[in-house]
Amino acid sequence: MHIVASLEQSLFLELAITELEEKGIAKNKIVAVPLKKKVGDSKIFDTIHRADGISLFDGAMILGTVFAILGAIYGTVLKWGPVLWGIIGLFAGFAIGLLLDLLINKRRAAGRKTKPIPTEVVLIINCDREQAEMVERVLWDNQALGVGRINT
Amino acid sequence: MFKTINRKNQRYPRAVISPFTTNTINRTNPWVAAWWSAAFPGFGHMFLGRYITGFVLTIWEIILNLKANINLAIIYSFTGQFDQAREVLDYKLFIVYIGAFVFGIWDSYRISVEMNKRSVLADRTDPVVDNFSMSPFSINCFEKRNPWVSAAWSCLVPGLGHVYIHRLATGFFVLIIWALAVYFSRMLVAMHLTLTGAFSEAAAVIDPAYFLFLPSLYGFSIYCSYVYTVEYNKVFKAEQAGYLKANYQSPDSKMPC
Repeated sequence: MHIVASLEQSLFLELAITELEEKGIAKNKIVAVPLKKKVGDSKIFDTIHRADGISLFDGAMILGTVFAILGAIYGTVLKWGPVLWGIIGLFAGFAIGLLLDLLINKRRAAGRKTKPIPTEVVLIINCDREQAEMVERVLWDNQALGVGRINT
Repeated sequence: MFKTINRKNQRYPRAVISPFTTNTINRTNPWVAAWWSAAFPGFGHMFLGRYITGFVLTIWEIILNLKANINLAIIYSFTGQFDQAREVLDYKLFIVYIGAFVFGIWDSYRISVEMNKRSVLADRTDPVVDNFSMSPFSINCFEKRNPWVSAAWSCLVPGLGHVYIHRLATGFFVLIIWALAVYFSRMLVAMHLTLTGAFSEAAAVIDPAYFLFLPSLYGFSIYCSYVYTVEYNKVFKAEQAGYLKANYQSPDSKMPC
């Protein structure tokens, strides 16, 4: 019979596999399929000039820094002083940048509505009926997201 | 026992890991790299993993900026006190400074564009990277880390976010620069006065020539540590996926159908 599990990529995944091997599941009875994610696979010309997946942070941090500098400068002549105005500038710039990024990304994301799923690897383990429960327990203990059986 | 992957003769490596630090080739936005160079010459290069240029340009910036009173001139100009700006600025040094300032911006934009191409090429070849490096003095490995934890540590003390992800070349350098700038600008004294409501005393005690270094340092360390936490996570996943494919996709595995 076969046990199928979906997991996130982490060292737990390797701990699960090696524990199964220690408990007598042969290496060629374990198949691991790392999934390619849709987000990372978008076309080159779409992502080459962007640090893909984190562009929400770009505008926020850049405008935050710009406004923090401006706040520190004008704070020298304003009442609350450069420290407070610098901090106010940082937060104001961050908020404005984040809003701008969100607006831009919303328009861009309208085309692709797929939500990212946490599953990163699918494990398929071929084992005897008596081993099935042990295999499932090892998988659950190592933070599997979902585990299923195929009775053949 | 395990199939190892030959790491030699790789034309387009994705990452290199040493006990001291980790360096990667990844997609970056050239405008963002150019911006960090504009905020603080050298930071664009440090962001792109070019430490030698980055350190030299950063130290160059600090020395020339302080000697030529550029930060003071910026503050006077922005607040409309043009005569004082003119008086305080050392023009001879300022002209020397401008050349390297513009070069830093141009060069980080260019590097970012070129490295993006290499990053695509690296993605098209099988990822072969070490996930671990150890020496008697240090251990470094790719792990899955939380980018918001990096950002939070950088918010508390700039540099610590980089230490968390073991990008130590940036981390220690930023820590030192931050500590010096905080000390000489008397920022913490001003912070204390600000929090107790003594705003005019706070503005008077601060040394603006040093204080104006702080916002760029702060923003950069938060942004850079966040971005590289994400990038190192990607390398971790790519390396592990390569290992799984090499070891756990045996052709004689029995499939259910």
